[in-house]
Amino acid sequence: MKDFFRHNGVLILIIAVLLALITLVTSVLLGGTANPIASVVGFVTTPVRNGINGFVGWVEGVYDYAFQYDQLVEENEQLKIQIAEMEEQVRQAEADSRENERLRSLLGLREQRRDLTLESATVTAVGATNWYSTFTISKGENMGIAAEDCVIDQYGNLVGVVTTVGLNWATVTTIIDTDTEMGGILARTDTAAILEGDFALMGEGKLKLSYLPENTDLVSGDEVLTSGRGGVYPAGLLVGTVDTVHTDDSGMTRYAIITPSANLNDLQQVFVITDFDIVE
Amino acid sequence: MTQRDFLTKWLIYGLALLPVWFLEVYVLSRISLFGVSPTLLPLAAITVAVLEGGAPGAGFGLAVGVICDAVYGTNGAMTLSLALLGAGAGITAQYLVRQNLVGCALCSAAGLFLIELFRVGWRLLFQVADLTALLRVAVPEFLFSLVFIPLIYAIFHWVWSRTQFATLF
Repeated sequence: MKDFFRHNGVLILIIAVLLALITLVTSVLLGGTANPIASVVGFVTTPVRNGINGFVGWVEGVYDYAFQYDQLVEENEQLKIQIAEMEEQVRQAEADSRENERLRSLLGLREQRRDLTLESATVTAVGATNWYSTFTISKGENMGIAAEDCVIDQYGNLVGVVTTVGLNWATVTTIIDTDTEMGGILARTDTAAILEGDFALMGEGKLKLSYLPENTDLVSGDEVLTSGRGGVYPAGLLVGTVDTVHTDDSGMTRYAIITPSANLNDLQQVFVITDFDIVE
Repeated sequence: MTQRDFLTKWLIYGLALLPVWFLEVYVLSRISLFGVSPTLLPLAAITVAVLEGGAPGAGFGLAVGVICDAVYGTNGAMTLSLALLGAGAGITAQYLVRQNLVGCALCSAAGLFLIELFRVGWRLLFQVADLTALLRVAVPEFLFSLVFIPLIYAIFHWVWSRTQFATLF
């Protein structure tokens, strides 16, 4: 113990307490903006992360080419068929959209949401702790990304929400994290409820749809969308599908377990919704 | 030991921390066993504390804690925790256990146990989840992390054995 006191041990612990307090206070005060230490670490490690991510991608590519060539050829054929089918669907959707436009004008309805402003980003690192579900992307404040921006995958499925932003990086908290809480709506019945992360379900890659009204008609496979209520998040983003329905411990309310539509374990490129229009 | 030697020693410890950091954040975070990945940075802080003693251990723990806070997003909790664990492990190694792999393993296991206890206790306090769900993460994480003690010890013992002399150059 004498050594500890003689070698400024107490001073170091006081510095640790002060640093911890400063970090905590700045994090609270800055909201979604990264605190100075996290900012510097993030800024310095972003090129390294990008490099490692590129290297990992290259190794995976080489592995795939070497060991999964036949599978890739077969997959390519299937994708060509899928593209043909999707092109047909797009043509149909365009026709439907024009019809929808006419009906909207006819009914005098205002447009609910017209477009989303998207910023593409690469996933450079996945969260290194088992207690949160987060990942880091390659863009930050310099590309107009801000805290609370929604993040979607290439198919438009909701992936998560930006929670911390640095200059050239941002941390995204996925929809299965325990911090997630947003309005959700069942596409088939228009029933509103609350989407929230649950620690027990996080490990299984799922989340909860809570506070379901008593008489809600739910079927496994029902799609759940963001409700967009409050204007913080855009409406109509596909979150996932209903897996199972349960009654909570109190026996008063029901909740559904939702399987996200986005594949959260294999994200490489995502799109950040930096702006969206809402007209209620 | 001159001031230059002192700075060089801690610079080498810092450099030795880099492969541990990269291994945890960029490699092991993509490979999960029983649904979890191991936590290595706290092990590094405790190992150096066992080898170097209480005050240097607290200082190194503080530095590693700052990195952990940036990596894990824990808002200062790891800075304080690892400085305290570094001091505790260093003092324990000076007076209670040997400064070898066994002593390091004992201190690391105790340190990891305290970290997991804090993580579980904190979440129970704020009713984030029930105990079963929390233990389902904490226990495998604890056990999986213990596996890496020899590797972490080997890295930092290598540095320690080459930097403990009075003059490095």
